[in-house]
Amino acid sequence: MNDCSQCSVRERAICQSLSEEALGDLNRIGRRQMLKRGQTMTWQGDESVIVGNVIDGVFKLSASTMDGREQTLGIMFPSDFIGRPFGPKSNHSIVALTDAKVCTFMRAAFDDFARDHPDLEHKLLQRTLTELDRTRQWMLLLGRRSANERVAAFLLEMVARLAEPDTEGPIHLELPLGRQDIADLLGLTIETVSRQITQLREDGVIDTPNRRTVVILDRAALEACADEA
Amino acid sequence: MWPYYPDLLATPVPRYTSYPTAAEFGGGVDGGDMASALERVSGDVSLYVHIPFCEQICWYCGCNTTKSNRLDRLTSYLDALHREIALVGARLPSGARVRHMAFGGGSPNAISPTDFVRLMLSLTQAFALDRPTISIEIDPRSMSAGWAQALSGVGVQRASLGVQTFDPRLQQAIGREQPDHLIADCTALLREAGVTSLNFDLMYGLPGQTLTTLEETLDRAGELGADRIALFGYAHVPQMMPRQKRIDASALPNQATRFAMARRGHERLVDGGYVPVGFDHFALPGDPLAQAVLSGKLHRNFQGFTDDAAPVLIGLGASAISCFPHLIAQNEKNTGRYRMMLSQDRLTAVHGVRRSAEDRLRGAIIEGLLCQGKAPVAVALLNDLRERLQPFADRGLIGFADGVLSIQPFGLPYARAIAACFDPYRTVSQRKFSSAV
Repeated sequence: MNDCSQCSVRERAICQSLSEEALGDLNRIGRRQMLKRGQTMTWQGDESVIVGNVIDGVFKLSASTMDGREQTLGIMFPSDFIGRPFGPKSNHSIVALTDAKVCTFMRAAFDDFARDHPDLEHKLLQRTLTELDRTRQWMLLLGRRSANERVAAFLLEMVARLAEPDTEGPIHLELPLGRQDIADLLGLTIETVSRQITQLREDGVIDTPNRRTVVILDRAALEACADEA
Repeated sequence: MWPYYPDLLATPVPRYTSYPTAAEFGGGVDGGDMASALERVSGDVSLYVHIPFCEQICWYCGCNTTKSNRLDRLTSYLDALHREIALVGARLPSGARVRHMAFGGGSPNAISPTDFVRLMLSLTQAFALDRPTISIEIDPRSMSAGWAQALSGVGVQRASLGVQTFDPRLQQAIGREQPDHLIADCTALLREAGVTSLNFDLMYGLPGQTLTTLEETLDRAGELGADRIALFGYAHVPQMMPRQKRIDASALPNQATRFAMARRGHERLVDGGYVPVGFDHFALPGDPLAQAVLSGKLHRNFQGFTDDAAPVLIGLGASAISCFPHLIAQNEKNTGRYRMMLSQDRLTAVHGVRRSAEDRLRGAIIEGLLCQGKAPVAVALLNDLRERLQPFADRGLIGFADGVLSIQPFGLPYARAIAACFDPYRTVSQRKFSSAV
């Protein structure tokens, strides 16, 4: 496994407060996986439940329903901690939406380690609460009826996750996802997503200087679009 | 002032947290029945999540719980519970909305606060939560800053503390020692965490308890600002609950004293500004439970008296009970077998009872009598039950007018016994139940 000191999310990840020595111990129980875009994360062993640190890239968490539909449960970005218990028996999957890197632990081993490191244990609680907040937001987003509302809510979610907090003026976002990925996440067609983005641009709410860049020009208007129900 | 008629309290009666009661549960209900009941649900749904662990086991307790001293057992239980949440959630039609969630036990705070938040994550993913009211049972002895943070972050508005008594000698006698300051600190932490409705579970009929120590406990609960108080009579049934054998039976108050305690407790709490809720709960007038009483919308379910009106309650966890209009189903009680069934992706309902049209009719009368103190009853049914109701009518405890049977306010201690007249399963008395007072 690579040296944690070289880790690109070292200053922001759940393990940030650990001493060099403790980090070494944690390193020994972790496993780093590199994933290609579109690849599903694999499990270590048949029954193991894992948690993990996103180091690089974007992941999609999803669950399959009884009737075979797939529901997105959220997206994870670098330095996010995937703290909900995921496992082969959970009907859940974690798919890389971009080339990605993740550092995973057996949940039981990670919890044991956290119990011996109170600071990490506290961070684990905080991170899990953050994950709950985001999941609630995400479920609200998917619960919105119209395509217009969902796309607007998604862009606001990206602002919350990717932009510097309290930015004044226009907010520049480099979306890590293409239109097709966004459409899949939101349960919409790519045509619908494109149409909504065009509409928002024509209304002067956003600008799209290129395929991946979105500039939020009028955040209040975007918020109004997301809450039109 | 409640009149005392020992003969009317001689026969033990159920608490009627469901009808038919748990005594009528049998085999013949399984995961298949549970699955088809889930698939037919529509409208509001309430969830109950059972955590059958406690850091310490109290001698008096009748709950399905064990000591949480083995981490691996706790972990594998939670894994199974997560699995059950996903399986049950996947069965529910998308129209089913969750408005109430309750965590009970045992002591939910015997697990780590992070594990509690993880359960919330799974529940959020698996069910359509519609800004639910969330309540939780808390053991003050295992309360912590981490738990306060979790409750606040999750948005738990209601908590219930197992207090039982503030008297140190009585606490010793029932194997639950928790000094006053511990309960006061726990209360403060819960308030800071955003709990707006706080219940204290209290008990009368404890070994060595007197009217004075009971009053002191009730007054202290009021001082600490309890929004709700549940005042239960201690049920000493060591033949069914072996852990109660450690309690000195010779020090238990007799039935006349128990009655006097229930009566004094009721008076003291009403004098202190609490609204009586059913036969053993009390709530401050601003609390949603008191509001439910005042607006005639009180209900009864497995957690006791409630303002929750959902027609469907889904129980998750070992021994948890689900209640549908046509079916009551209880999960496997043994945590080992519960885990084993879930490892095979099976729903764990193993017993229960199907509710016939007649059961639902009788259940509605019983719930009405216990929650509203009255219920519409057909004259033909009343005539059939004349003999059983006569002793209560002779004492003026009940009245019948315009098709409605009512219990007089001073008849409250007999409410369970009156309700039991409408329970045909109780024609032969069974020593299985606790005394009504």
